[in-house]
Amino acid sequence: MDAQGQEQFREFVENRTSALLRTAVLLSGGDRHAAEDLLQNALIKAAGKWQRIDEPEAYVRQILYRQQVSRWRLKWRRRELTVADPPEGSGGSDPSAAAELRIVMRGALARLTARQRTVLVLRYFEDLPEADVARILGCSVGTVRSTTHRSLARLRVLAPELAATAPADAERTPSRDFAPVEVRP
Amino acid sequence: MNMDQLVRDTLIEQGAQPQTPPPDLAGRVLAVRRRRRTRRISGVAVAAVLAVAAAVAVPVLDRGGDEPRLASGMNRSDIIAHPDQSPPRDLIAAGDTALAAYYVMDMVRKTDDRAVAVRDYHLLDQRTGKYVRTTDWSVVDVAPGMRTAAVLERELPARRIGLLDLLSGKVEHWIPVDRGVAGVAFSPDGDKLVATTYDENPDLRLRADYDNDGDGRKNDWMPQFGGSSRTGFYVLDVDTGDGSWARVAGGDQEHLNARQDFAFSGDGGLVYSGLTTAPHQRYYDFEGKEADTPAKERHLHWFVDARLSPDGSLAAGEFAGGSRATASEILDPLTGKRLHKVPGQQLLAWADDDRLVAWDIEPGANEFHNRLVLVTIGSDKVVPLSGFRKGNDGAGGRWTPLFARR
Repeated sequence: MDAQGQEQFREFVENRTSALLRTAVLLSGGDRHAAEDLLQNALIKAAGKWQRIDEPEAYVRQILYRQQVSRWRLKWRRRELTVADPPEGSGGSDPSAAAELRIVMRGALARLTARQRTVLVLRYFEDLPEADVARILGCSVGTVRSTTHRSLARLRVLAPELAATAPADAERTPSRDFAPVEVRP
Repeated sequence: MNMDQLVRDTLIEQGAQPQTPPPDLAGRVLAVRRRRRTRRISGVAVAAVLAVAAAVAVPVLDRGGDEPRLASGMNRSDIIAHPDQSPPRDLIAAGDTALAAYYVMDMVRKTDDRAVAVRDYHLLDQRTGKYVRTTDWSVVDVAPGMRTAAVLERELPARRIGLLDLLSGKVEHWIPVDRGVAGVAFSPDGDKLVATTYDENPDLRLRADYDNDGDGRKNDWMPQFGGSSRTGFYVLDVDTGDGSWARVAGGDQEHLNARQDFAFSGDGGLVYSGLTTAPHQRYYDFEGKEADTPAKERHLHWFVDARLSPDGSLAAGEFAGGSRATASEILDPLTGKRLHKVPGQQLLAWADDDRLVAWDIEPGANEFHNRLVLVTIGSDKVVPLSGFRKGNDGAGGRWTPLFARR
């Protein structure tokens, strides 16, 4: 990378780190240290191709997602996270009860596998259609659908407080496609 | 509310929480890439050199394989900063250098008019990555790789030099010496030690018969100026303890501080010591004969700890700031010409070929209220590494850092 490229890279990192880090924190289930590792590795890869990248942010985000679901990441030691104590009651239209439910949900999301969490972040946080999620992760639409379904089911197991919550659309249409994800970031 | 909505709301709420970016992430990423590239290019040559080094320097270098991991090796982040810690509690590092230890000076009164300036060291515990206080040693130097420290016991001059394993916290072996030593320093490759010999404890202080610090009381302890008891130095092989003593003939005695230890030149082929007057440094071969100053070290100052950059192309210079801003200069080592000005009050150690660890203050603050920072040549950016030191120069509790290659 030449001096101009380095300057542009520094500028990009300065301007976009906060936003990218927020996504990395979601992907890491709230683990800030893991998020920093994830983002740093993604930026190292992006820096290697910096002058050939047209849309740096899209590129870095794609690396973030793919790194998170790659086999290497899955084999990596799983971090045990401290999860907030579940509240006594749940549900209803009471705002404080809803806030408590979100705390429970956050703890349950942290305990999903990286792959499950990544698919949920892409579907529900980035609000992407299944086809786009499949393209980003380099897998089939069926795999995205089945992973979403299984992830939501897993959340219910991890947090019984969510039992009263109505099923999501994805839970009503189970998929038979359970092919493993294999991507090469 | 259904599951879709709950997952979405939770993620949006969590994703909206502000995240403070880590300091100088771009610099860290570019440095990692630079290091990886260098490693790829010189991989074969480095492997050959390491094989030889490992064969001769067993206690100093990592023996690899089934060796337990060092705390400084577990966290290889380019910058490990603790801007909230002064004195530091957890490992601080930047690039290839790390804070291996620090000490706090204390004055221990022996009689009404004699005292000894004692260092309480805080050494990196390589099991935990934390700095742990010890009162066992009077002088410490840490070898490159931060596995081994050379230590002298409390009573100086000492009759043996310990090689302390920073992982186990135990002295692995002792090198006995016939002449009392009061200073130790490793060679750049960690294979040799230079131990400075003195007839008396160079940390001895006498009660001054005047008010040195102007506080209205004659209670100041001063070293005995012009009365150096330094006699020479040993150069010792770290593994075997073999080596010889060299007398350094007098003539300079009145131009020495009470403690004026020897250290190795940049290539490890000579030793040098500072002088209080011009030419400010003098070099010797291992037999104690005066030697020419190496060409690249002619413009170094013994009191600027950073000295030459790792590739030898730049020299750390003195303070070059003004009354409003701190700065230090970076010199062409051969000509002494100023090539760059970097932020920083005092340059302490090179992190790599274009970054240094320095003391620096907040703009406009008292010159003694300083902290460790990382500065980069060609950039105004300053990355804080530690918290600010408190108190004025010489005040109790002020800590002094010791760096080593990690």
